[in-house]
Amino acid sequence: MQLDLSILRVAGALGRHAAERHSLIARNVANADTPGYRAVDLEPFADALRRAEAAGSSALSTTRQVPVAAPGAGSPNGNTVALEDQMLRAGQAARASEIATTVFSKSIAMLRAAAARPR
Amino acid sequence: MNPFAKTSAIAASGLRAQAFRLQVVAQNLANSDTHGYRRKTVTFDQAFDRASQTQTVRVGRIGLDPGPRERVFEPGHPLADADGYVEKSNVNVLTEIADAREANRSYEAGLQILSQARQMYSSLLETLKR
Repeated sequence: MQLDLSILRVAGALGRHAAERHSLIARNVANADTPGYRAVDLEPFADALRRAEAAGSSALSTTRQVPVAAPGAGSPNGNTVALEDQMLRAGQAARASEIATTVFSKSIAMLRAAAARPR
Repeated sequence: MNPFAKTSAIAASGLRAQAFRLQVVAQNLANSDTHGYRRKTVTFDQAFDRASQTQTVRVGRIGLDPGPRERVFEPGHPLADADGYVEKSNVNVLTEIADAREANRSYEAGLQILSQARQMYSSLLETLKR
């Protein structure tokens, strides 16, 4: 029997993506008042996954950065960080990280249950 | 470098910058009645942090507001010019308060990010425990 552990691979990639994204959002928030700073975000995880599947490769690259379209006009000093929008994104990243760790640990628990000695 | 440490370094640099800005606001407010005082302005700048290999924020140049200062007639004042006029400070208390509010808000956002990162890290560690 072949053991397909792609769920662990995807959960791991999602966790890494969420952590990297959160770090990028931290940068945006820290630069919320830096003149000329343009907000960036990571490409959504689903898009990266779809791209990897279309390419048929198992290597999942989730570090592609995309500029954030500023909601409303940016500041007169050229800064495009909207703090509320960034906090929303940070919440999303934290949630994604939680999902990743939960799925990961549950999958491990299921594997362990399957491998346990029958009682 | 792990992304959580990176997040912490970036958020901490943001907190430092905002705290400094608040300090400058306090200086301006304290000197709002000092004759001849020019309001200080803070600009932020991006910096590359070697330790965490990431882009952080730092305080850039401190400038002086070149805005006009109100002239009042006070011949007895030591700073009075030949005509007996003294220039007051160009600090606008309302602007300073608004600036302090903005700094406060950004500071809170940074704190929020920091605690989120810590939570993410500890829940990741939880998976190692089992």
